[in-house]
Formats: sequence, structure tokens, C-alpha cells
Amino acid sequence: MKTLQAQGVKPVDSHLQANGKPWSVKEKLLLGLTPKEYIAMQVRNPFNWLLWIIYAVGIPVLVGRFIFGLGWVTHSSYEYPWGLFLGWGLFTMVPLSASGFMMGTTVELFGRKDFKPIERLGLLNGLLGYLFAVMFLQVDLGQPWRLIYPMFVSLGPAAVLFLVAWHVATYLSCQVAELVPAFSEWMGFPKAKKFIKSIVLGLTVAGIILSTLHQGALGALFTYAPGKVHPLWYSSPFQWFHFFISAVFAGLSMLIVVSTLCKWFLRWRCDDNFLKNLNTLTLGLAKGASLALITYFVTKIIGIAHDGDWEYLASGWGQWFMFEMVVGVLLPLVFYTVAIKNQNASLARFSAFLAVFGIALNRLNTALVTFNWNLYQEIPHWREVMIVITVYATYIVVYRAILARMPILYTWKEQKQ
Amino acid sequence: MGGKKKLLGVAAVLVLTAPLASRSWAETGPDTVVLDSLANHYEAVTFDHAMHVDVAGNCATCHHHTTGEAPVDQNCGRCHSAAQGASGIACRDCHSVEPFSAANLKAIDSNPQMYHTGKPGLKGALHQKCLGCHQEMGAPTGCQDCHARNDQGDAFFRAGKYAPKPTASESHGGGH
Amino acid sequence: MKKINRRSFLKGGLAGGAALAATGAKTASAAQDFGGYPDSMGVLVDFTKCVGCRTCEAACNKEQGLPEPEKPFDDQSVFDEQRHGGLPRRPTEKAYTVVNRYNIVGREHPLFRKVQCNHCNEPACLTSCFVNAYKKTPEGAVIYDPTVCVGCRTCMIACPFYVPAYSYSSAINPVVKKCIMCYDTRLKFGRPPACVEACPQQVMTFGKRSELLKLAHQKIRQNPDKYVDHVYGEKEVGGTAWLYLSDVPFDRIGFDTHLGNQPIINYVKEFLTVVPMVLTIWPALFTGFHLLSNRKDAKKNEETKS
Repeated sequence: MKTLQAQGVKPVDSHLQANGKPWSVKEKLLLGLTPKEYIAMQVRNPFNWLLWIIYAVGIPVLVGRFIFGLGWVTHSSYEYPWGLFLGWGLFTMVPLSASGFMMGTTVELFGRKDFKPIERLGLLNGLLGYLFAVMFLQVDLGQPWRLIYPMFVSLGPAAVLFLVAWHVATYLSCQVAELVPAFSEWMGFPKAKKFIKSIVLGLTVAGIILSTLHQGALGALFTYAPGKVHPLWYSSPFQWFHFFISAVFAGLSMLIVVSTLCKWFLRWRCDDNFLKNLNTLTLGLAKGASLALITYFVTKIIGIAHDGDWEYLASGWGQWFMFEMVVGVLLPLVFYTVAIKNQNASLARFSAFLAVFGIALNRLNTALVTFNWNLYQEIPHWREVMIVITVYATYIVVYRAILARMPILYTWKEQKQ
Repeated sequence: MGGKKKLLGVAAVLVLTAPLASRSWAETGPDTVVLDSLANHYEAVTFDHAMHVDVAGNCATCHHHTTGEAPVDQNCGRCHSAAQGASGIACRDCHSVEPFSAANLKAIDSNPQMYHTGKPGLKGALHQKCLGCHQEMGAPTGCQDCHARNDQGDAFFRAGKYAPKPTASESHGGGH
Repeated sequence: MKKINRRSFLKGGLAGGAALAATGAKTASAAQDFGGYPDSMGVLVDFTKCVGCRTCEAACNKEQGLPEPEKPFDDQSVFDEQRHGGLPRRPTEKAYTVVNRYNIVGREHPLFRKVQCNHCNEPACLTSCFVNAYKKTPEGAVIYDPTVCVGCRTCMIACPFYVPAYSYSSAINPVVKKCIMCYDTRLKFGRPPACVEACPQQVMTFGKRSELLKLAHQKIRQNPDKYVDHVYGEKEVGGTAWLYLSDVPFDRIGFDTHLGNQPIINYVKEFLTVVPMVLTIWPALFTGFHLLSNRKDAKKNEETKS
């Protein structure tokens, strides 16, 4: 696109072409390019070549999983019933997608309209993260076609996972609704946007409740395994809170990461409003994230003190734990603080990458690495890893496609009719 | 396992063969006893009672207090002193063929005074006695050292001609 | 500028709250202390008697119609098998019970330990299942309905004994598989499980759990030099229908002796109590925050209206 822009091509950002004729849906999908131009652009992008390689290997493996069963792609162990699909796809993707409810709350509830330029990116990051968490779940479930069973066929309301299932489903529809305005602008359905505006507060409050509960519930899932998760990553009274509060900085940091990537790789799609405000917004997000980080760190310490787990810090697991805490929590906290003080957005961005790494490490540690710390360590099968990469690549493709089209990074130019 | 069939099959659990021995019946009991309660899976066992009498030397080793000798186990001695025999001496007189039958379970449940609630059934009593001693004495302890398995037994254990073909089964799950 | 007056946001907030209450409130009615059915049955296993003949494994295979084993049931070489991490054999989708051998220094013979589902009084698998597939029957068995199993495998995460297995090999109908104490074919009719009945040594005693506990303690009292003074399963994770006696400390024969006496659901309750609080407090709290932070807007709105 950069090349095309240099040639004077302007991407679609309103219903009307330069000559006053309205864009058709097909033309909008092609970003206002001719099919030939569009394909040439896709071929030019080296990242697409990488995607093709991933798909060439990954899609056959993914198909194989549904033909030969989970035993073919995973190590199918009875001690480690959950592997990377959930460890990464559910337990890591969901906190990284907490940006949706965070931005909704900030802008709609607390009236911080100054975050408006990045609100939609936050909402989209939330929606897609959840959507693909469900995709990962569908790959992992033994019988994905029974996904609706807990909803309608056989209900187990006392189970934590029941709560997760219902809340993720409700929240997904909530997030879809929150993004209807962006879609309706692009498609030209102003009525849908108006309707959503009238219920936006209800949606936002629902979003907070649902997010608090299911982010916490993902942690609470591990309270079913008191002896299996290492005590340093386990705390019966605090587990839900640790997962919830870490989701807050995870979501905000992920939003910084994504906006940074947009700034780097999708600059042509960002408008001035977004680019000009981004540094200030990044520091604003960093402020929120650093508050959550310090809360998380303190409650983590309280959890250890409460459960009397100090002695474990001296073990090898303790060193691994301290590595996670220092690199994933303390360093981001320090960098964020310094960044805010010195108004240094670049440092905040670096810190965000660290925090995202830290949260992934924490979730994988809880779900996989320290799980069964008394038994043996499981290393995922290469096919399992390949499927995770494939699904995640699809997430990126969909993400990029929406960002390139809908008014997320730019403001739609409404015509007076 | 065909429980009903087994129920009927074990009706004649202990067939006491006619006393052919030279020693007096009243003193030492039968010379041989045919044990065929496991006819489902094993051929009947002809138990050389006379030989075991010689080895054990003491009836109480196997028959507890029932023969009128002082019981070996001190716990038994607290109630059953010497010279206090029982009307039934054969194993099956006390050890039930169906220890967990509804009637037996009900009896335990309804009578809080009941003792010997953990008394093994006949099959258990025989094996515990035989194997316990065989282990101590270095006598044979393998299943088929005492009773030969029949065709049905081979099928049950998936052994002999019913053995799984080594290539047929593929290791799945739990192998890690 | 967005126009939200008090009425519209309250409407929205209430609608959101109501929708949530409908979905989540039930979750709060989590299990209370249950302690097990009073007349439930159980099995007392006395490891001092087991000789490792594996007849129970054969009986289980036949009773449950399980697939052909890899080796004959009289093959003792299975005792030498080791899984990942040097672990001994365990119940699988193809074998709901297995016997393992433990060579104990100073003990004349190896100890053989039978493994199967312990049929907890308050099963973790049951409380973790989001499709309610599991059921604890009054007879004491923990059974499950494979036709609703989605395959999330949370029960395998939750089971403190690592019992449920999963048919990973199946692509079309993979389900959780475990011992059901022969509920369908025997226990329901008051009969002991197939393994108990088949055991030549009567290692296992079938009976009412309460009676078995008395018997177990009586056995320990009468043979203090023989048995470890502990009935495993009497109190562990809230008590199990299967109880164990051993002459070797339980932690040396693969038992987890650090499970505690709380049922697993108790560890989850801390979160479950949070659920109704969030559901009821959050809507009011956050609409309140909104009111505060947007007071100027709201005032302006009302002024323009009046």
C-alpha cells in the first residue's frame, strides 16, 4: 500500500469516490483498488509469503486434527488434558483482549472522550481476541459441535466453566454490538449506529461485569487443581483476582502493542487524529497499566504471604517465578513509570511488549509449565504448535483485513445527504 | 462375568470325596477334597488334604478354632478358647460362597453386634490360606501351578489362543 | 456529543444487569458441604492381600466390554512398564483399572496396588463439569453420561487422583472414560463390582461405606504391627467410596498424602461467592461512577430539557 500511496492512491474513507460516485461494496472490499492492483499489492507484501508458508503446513495439520482426532496432534496425555490450545488460545488470548471492556469503560463510562481515537481499536482487539479464543477452544474441544450443550442441552450451573462459557458468549455479542457503529459507517447503515448509541451504556456496564467475572473465572478454573498447579502460581482465595487484575494491564499493554504495530505497518490507514494523539494516548494507557501492575504485584505478594509459600521461592520453581515477576511485572512497572514521568512513549511501548510477554508467560506457567509440577513436564507436540501458529496467523489476517477497511484507525468521512 | 451362572455353578463348591484313607476320618478328615468353584475358568483342583495335614501339623492352622484346637491367632483366642469346636468344620460351612450377597450385607447392616463382618468369602478364604502358606513355605504360588486354566479361562484372560496379536494394537493415550 | 440522560443509562444498566443475573446467578448456588449419601456402598481394599494376578483387570475388561488389551491379562511383564516421567501404569480409555507393583525395601514380597476411580463423596469431576454429565448415585458410584460430554476435559484437571481418561484416539466421538463401579450392570442391583467379585484373594471387601470404615479400623486395631494406622479415603478430599489399608506408608506406594480433607469444590467456593457480589454491586457502582464523572453533562442535559 505504501507503494500505491506514493503513486497517489488514496484508500477508501468515505462512501463517495473522488468523482462523486458511491463506492460499491466490492470496491470497498478491494480498498478502492482494481483487482489487479489489489493482488499485486498482496503479492508484494513479504509478510503474506510467510503466511502462505504457515498455511501450507498448518492447514493440512488442522484438517488432520478433525480426521484423526486430538491424539494425532497432541501428546494426548491424561495428566495434561490441557495443552497449548487452551494455554495460549484461551488463557493468554482472553486477558490480552481485555482492552475491549477497558476502553469501553474509560470512554463511555468515565467520559474520557480524549481516548476516543483509540477506543475502536481497543474494542476490535477485544472482539477478535475473544472470537479467536473461541476458535482455539473449538480446536481443543473433543466434540466442538456440542459447544452449545452447556447453554441449552445439559446445564451444569455450579461449574466455573459454565460461567466462563455463558459470559464469553454473552460478552462476544456485547462486543459485536459495540463495534456495530464502525461497521454501519462503512456499510452505510446509520440506523444501526443510532440504536447502539442508545444502549451503549448498558452494553458497557454489562461488559465490565462479564469481564470481571470471566477473567476471574479463568483463574478460578485452576482452583479445581490445588495440588497440581505450583503453589507460587496458585492461591485459592486470590486466584480469580490475580487473573482479573493482570488482565487489566494485559489488555492495556496489548492495546499499546497493537497500536504500535499499526503505526509501523498500517500507517497508510491511520488518520492524523490517530497518529497525532497516539503518543499521549499511549502514555495514558501506560498510566492505567502501571496502576494495575502495582496492584497485581502487591496482591501477588499478599497471596504468597497468605498461603505461606515463602519457602518455595528458594527452589528452582521459585527462581522461575521470580524471573516471571521481574521481567513480566516489575520491569514493565518501572519502565511505565519512567516513561510517564519523562513523557517517553517509546519506552512505554517497549514496556508494553514486556508486559504482554509477562502475561503470556504467567498464563502458560499456570496452565502448562508448573502444572503437575510434582509429576513430569510435558512438551507440546509439533503439530499442536503448528495449529496454534496457524490459528493465530488467521487471527492476524482477519485483524489486518478489518483494520484496512473499517473506520477503526481513521474517522469515516460522513457525507451530508 | 456371568454372575447368575456362577451362582448356580458354585452350589457344589466343596465336594468332599469319600474317605478312602487308612487314617480315621474323625481324626484327620478326608484324604482329598475336590475344589471346583472356579469351574468357569479353571479345571477342578484335587486338594491333597492328607498331605497338608502332615505339613501343617495342626488343624487350627487352617481350621481356626472349629476342630477344637486352640486357635493360632491371638485375636481369635480372646473369644474362642481351646476345646470349643464348631459343628461345621469344612471351609464352606462358615465362608460364604457369595460373601457380598444382599442377605449377608443386610445381616451386617441390621446387626450392630455382629462380629466377623470382614470374614472372607469361600474363594477368598481358600486363596488367602493356600497362598499365604505357599508363599511362606516356598511352595508354588502361580495361578496355574494349582489349577489349570480351561478354554473359557484363556478367553477371559486373553491368553493362549486368545492372546492379542502384537501388531494389532497400537499404543494410544496415557503412554506419556 | 453523546446524549445520555439518567433515565437512558439506568435503563441500559438495568438491562445489562438483568441479562447477567439470568445467566450467572445460578452459579452462586454452589454446593454446600455434602459429606456423601448415608447408605452409599464402598469397597475396602487391603493391599496386604493382593498378589498381583490381574484377575480384576480381566474381569473389568469383560464386564465393561473394553477393547482387547495389548498384552494378556496373565502377563506379569506389564509391571515393568513405565510411562513418561517414570510413572507406573494408570487407568486408560481401554482399561478402567490397573494393578501396579511396588518393590519395597525390607518387605518380603512386592506390594501390589490396584488403581481405579475412588468414587468421591463430593467428586471434583462432578462439580467441575459444565454440562452436568457426572452423577453421584445414592449407591455411591460416580457415573457419567457420555452423550453430553463436550470434551473440555476440566474433570481431568479437577480430579485429584488423575482418574478420568479420555479417548483421544477417537475423532468422531471422543469422551471421558472411567470406572463407574459397575453401576449399570451390578451396583444398581446391590451387587459388588466385577473386580471385587473376581478377585481370588478377596483383597476387596464390598459393603456399606460406614460399615467398611468400622471394619477397617477394627482390622488396624487387631493388627497394629501389620497395618499403617490410616484408612486412605476415609477423609481425603471429603472421603471416597473406595477405602484402602496398607502395611506400607501410602506415600511410598504412589498415593498423594497431601490432598487434605477438604472436597475440591471448597477451594473453588472463594470465587463462587464473588460471583453474586459482582453481579449485584457492579451495575450500581459503575453507573454511579458514570454519574459522577459526567455530572456536568447530565446537568446540562436536564437544564436544556426543562
